Amino acid sequence: MVLLRLEGVTKRFGGLVAVDHVDLEVNEGEAVGIVGPNGSGKTTLYNIISGVYLPDEGKVFFEGNDITKLPPHERTPLGLARTFQIPRPFGAASVKENVAIGAMFGRAKANVDEAMKMADEYLELVGMYELVNKEAKLLTPLEKKLMELARALAMKPKLLLLDELMAGMNPNDINRIIELVKKIKVKENIAVVSMVEHLMHAITQFAERVVVMHQGKKLIEGPTMEVLNDPKVIEVYLGKKMVIEGYEG
Amino acid sequence: MRRYKPLLPVFAIYVILLIIGATTPGLWQPIMFIMFYIGIGVALNNFLGLTGYVDFGYVAFLAMGAYGMAVALNYFTELGFGAVALGFFLALLFSALLCIAVGGVALRLRGAYFAIATIGVNEGLRYLIEGARIWGGSEGIVLSGKLRKAFGPDFANYLSTFVADVCLIIVIFVASVITIYLINSRVGYALLALREDEDAAKVVGINVTKYKLIAFFTSAAIGSLIGASAWTLKLTYVFPEDVFFIHYTVEAIVIVMLGGAGTLLGPVISGLIYGALKYYLSVILPGFQLLAFAPLLIIIVVAFPDGIVGYVRKKLRGKSLFEYIR
Ligand SMILES: Nc1ncnc2c1ncn2[C@@H]1O[C@H](COP(=O)(O)OP(=O)(O)O)[C@@H](O)[C@H]1O
Ligand SMILES: [Mg+2]
Repeated sequence: MVLLRLEGVTKRFGGLVAVDHVDLEVNEGEAVGIVGPNGSGKTTLYNIISGVYLPDEGKVFFEGNDITKLPPHERTPLGLARTFQIPRPFGAASVKENVAIGAMFGRAKANVDEAMKMADEYLELVGMYELVNKEAKLLTPLEKKLMELARALAMKPKLLLLDELMAGMNPNDINRIIELVKKIKVKENIAVVSMVEHLMHAITQFAERVVVMHQGKKLIEGPTMEVLNDPKVIEVYLGKKMVIEGYEG
Repeated sequence: MRRYKPLLPVFAIYVILLIIGATTPGLWQPIMFIMFYIGIGVALNNFLGLTGYVDFGYVAFLAMGAYGMAVALNYFTELGFGAVALGFFLALLFSALLCIAVGGVALRLRGAYFAIATIGVNEGLRYLIEGARIWGGSEGIVLSGKLRKAFGPDFANYLSTFVADVCLIIVIFVASVITIYLINSRVGYALLALREDEDAAKVVGINVTKYKLIAFFTSAAIGSLIGASAWTLKLTYVFPEDVFFIHYTVEAIVIVMLGGAGTLLGPVISGLIYGALKYYLSVILPGFQLLAFAPLLIIIVVAFPDGIVGYVRKKLRGKSLFEYIR
């Protein structure tokens, strides 16, 4: 069943078209990778899906319902959760409270006691159990990312949007996180959309399907290995350099 | 019950203060003066402390409470204790109406814009009452003669001394329970999140306007009950230039920030310190607080951005005492 559907979604910032007539479908329980160079509109797309920005054109559907105009706090309980490219912890709250807040106001809609228990569970899962009482703003950038992952999972989403979650992690952490997300995805039937700038390797391990973004447009979409070996995609990643070299020569 | 542990030190402070006041000749009035400052600290903390939003018009809620009580005692004097009850009801009603007028619009704004929007509320309301001659205009409402005539001097005196003080004390106890209840509930966690990062809070599923309004109404309601008891009932008059005096707003803000915004013990301790200093120093150095505010605020912001209790809480994280300090 189609969980998320974008129809001709467009977002402009002044003269810049950050997202340009993008169509996208994500099925229940599917793992999708969104790949694209810096500035290709990936984060903006997430902001439209989560309701941070309203699109200038196009529509967003979740489980068949039009949520284009819904404010973020009304979408989240439907089963959306995301992490931020630059982590946004609730700094003065403890790590546990951060995750519990996700459980309280996400789809899980837990009461305070349940939320605290869930926070312990998910923090244990991401391997942060010994940090539960720490003030969130004191975490390292990597820990903040893991905490955001725990917060998003504690919301019990149907659709999880990961924004450069693995950027800046070492290979060990990346493998650990991929295994973890894969496991939870299957166990709780979560559709996971993960966007990355580089880290092609990580995407091949994880995504069943890949969408490549370029200058706000959807360049190509299909099974992971097929797409990543496509000449057009190789050009997007290497082409720029060749063009510049060409001009120089 | 575990979550209500933080009430223990707070109630201990209240009880000790009241026992000292009741048993030491000449100390009851200073203690009630201190209780007033603890009260406005606790009241404003439910908004400023829990949301991080600064309301420069806060004293207007105390004024609404003061007028609510004055209107009831002035026009429904014959109801006796019923008039006092009606007075508290009107206090809540008037402050709630002001909440709707201010909060419905201004709380959709972000922090700094909200603060600016509230600056005019207090003065505007005062000039409205004076200019349109509402509730006696600038002459205010003077109740002492009426109360004495209706009830006789003994009962009138009993109202303005004993009943007024008891009401204030009850309001402060109840307000403290409400603060801890809020902090420990979903409301408290929603406010904690939006205080830290409003946009992230929305994305996590929090209806930020709703929770800001809850804090605003709670804080306004408590403020209005304090205005009704500590001003109208106790002083038996209401003058607009007194009840809309912006000074009280600034004092309440200092108390909340100094003690530790968002904690309960914070405003209690700093209300105690501030009230005591003001009571004794104003005799020796009238107007000292004006001189003291600026350096005090700078010291707080630079050295103790989390306030006294916020600082102590940080040191106690993970220790067993932590649960009692809130
Ligand atoms: N709030 C904004 N205001 C103006 N321009 C923006 C804003 N957000 C993103 N952009 C621009 O939109 C384009 C796409 O950005 P983004 O979605 O962050 O790309 P990506 O996540 O793929 O790196 C970039 O050119 C960026 O500068
Ligand atoms: Mg991005």
